[in-house]
Amino acid sequence: MKLVRAWSTLASLSFVRLFWSTSTLMVMLPLAGCLLFVLRRHYNHPEFTQREFREFSEFLIVVFASFVVPICALAFGTASIGGDREDRTLVFLLVRPIPRWLILLAKFSATLPLVLGLVLGSYWTYCRLAGAVGQVAFDIYLPAITYMTLAYVCLFHLFAVSFRHATIIALVYAIFMETLIGNLPGIVKRVAVNYYGRSLLYAAGEADGARMPENFQPLSFDVATWALAGIAVGGLILACVVFSRREYRDLT
Amino acid sequence: MQRTPHAHFSDQTHHVAERPLLLEFEHVTKFYGAVIGINNVTCHVGPGITGLLGANGAGKSTLIKLASGQLRPTQGRVTIGGHDAWSTAAKHHLGYSPDINSFYEEMTGREFVYAMARLHGYSRAEARERTEHVLDEVGMADRAQRRLAGCSHGMRQRIKLAQALVHDPWLLLLDEPLTGIDPGGRREINELLFRLAGQGKTILVSSHILVEIEQLCSSIVMMSRGRLIAAGTLAEVRQMMQHRPQVIEIVAEPSRRVAALLAEHEDVLAVEMRDPGLVIKTRNPLDFFARVGELVCEQGIEVRRIQILDAGADAVFDYLQQGK
Repeated sequence: MKLVRAWSTLASLSFVRLFWSTSTLMVMLPLAGCLLFVLRRHYNHPEFTQREFREFSEFLIVVFASFVVPICALAFGTASIGGDREDRTLVFLLVRPIPRWLILLAKFSATLPLVLGLVLGSYWTYCRLAGAVGQVAFDIYLPAITYMTLAYVCLFHLFAVSFRHATIIALVYAIFMETLIGNLPGIVKRVAVNYYGRSLLYAAGEADGARMPENFQPLSFDVATWALAGIAVGGLILACVVFSRREYRDLT
Repeated sequence: MQRTPHAHFSDQTHHVAERPLLLEFEHVTKFYGAVIGINNVTCHVGPGITGLLGANGAGKSTLIKLASGQLRPTQGRVTIGGHDAWSTAAKHHLGYSPDINSFYEEMTGREFVYAMARLHGYSRAEARERTEHVLDEVGMADRAQRRLAGCSHGMRQRIKLAQALVHDPWLLLLDEPLTGIDPGGRREINELLFRLAGQGKTILVSSHILVEIEQLCSSIVMMSRGRLIAAGTLAEVRQMMQHRPQVIEIVAEPSRRVAALLAEHEDVLAVEMRDPGLVIKTRNPLDFFARVGELVCEQGIEVRRIQILDAGADAVFDYLQQGK
């Protein structure tokens, strides 16, 4: 019982600290940028058209899912443990009678709802503002956006426990690996999470008019789903293992 | 000043503890890559206040980090009440006040200590009760409503101490706990530590201020270049070095005659006339004191004062460090 209380205290404490952190301000910028873009493009026609759906899908896949979602995930995913590590307050948690892997899970449990809330909340807002195409897009892309968010949050927790300046490394990863390598032809793009996410998104939207780039070569919906689930579960388990075993020599 | 119950240790050559042991280092070696942080340290720390002394790079921080379960030994074992120091079970017995000045700055002192209490699994009511009690103990009850970002260094030190005590642990690891605290505050903290030691708690205090350690601690552990060079009470450590040169001041009449008589003693290395008496360097203090006794009886020498000038922790530490 004591452990449950301690764990839930840590999760709620972490949630509050993350919510009122600079990460929240940081992610507001790209989210607000997307909002302005959607408002500017006037997608809000009352009737569904394939051309408009294709354009809105391009915005969702290329800008929102491939850039904004990883930025949101990394802002909170790396700050959850990395913030404590950089502030050197992690030592106050490590000397408490909570197993290290549970500390990480508490941090993860605080981060995930926050990121999902922001990502899915803004996604819902954009879709509402986009009228008929937005309503269609919301339903068909929702699972893919959710899986991508989950995979990124887990992956960036792994970054946070593995690297000292995790935010910078994650940012470099998000920009170069995800954007650059994720768009390369051939199988090298399989190292990027967004390749699997985009495979899901294109597979989901293709029937309604979403058009994928010529050289993309997507995976099937099922394979991409399993890949994202594997990245999420594998990343989280690996993060727990690393955090449980790792010595943080720079804390005191 | 009142001394607390005896804390005890053993090195390969040091004596065995008399009380149940709580913090144990058994042949502990810690490497940082190719650099050695701690080299084959064996030492048992029991109830009472124990001072951890050493110059920068001596291995004090590594020892504290190993004891607090932040690091794992490369070789050997560190245990708290029989539990591996790295394990969660050991953390129930451990209170740790680190040598950092970082907190959740947005919180008040009271909120921070309360949050730490909650992280030990206490209910809201119990955590609140413990928080108030421990804030009162460290003299922060009336100032804990201030945000940590606006607290002075001394207040932050007290809050760190409070969070270490909030779950009433048996073992307290305090890294430089008196830094930044004014003299009055030091007295209060010292009294608190004496009280805690009197309750049978094991307290390991790391400090570079040797006088502070001398006043506070019943026992000391000295580190140099990653090795444990001495452990025991200050007097015991001095005893271990009885054959090392020692500087003694003696005020006796007639001083010139006393100087001549003592200079004849084979263990006296140097005699210096210094107002109001003599300063003598001897390599065997025990024999020297016996010789002074003989002079008093046989020669009618009048000794007004005799005192060892280098028995303080500073001198002991310098000697030991030079010897290793």
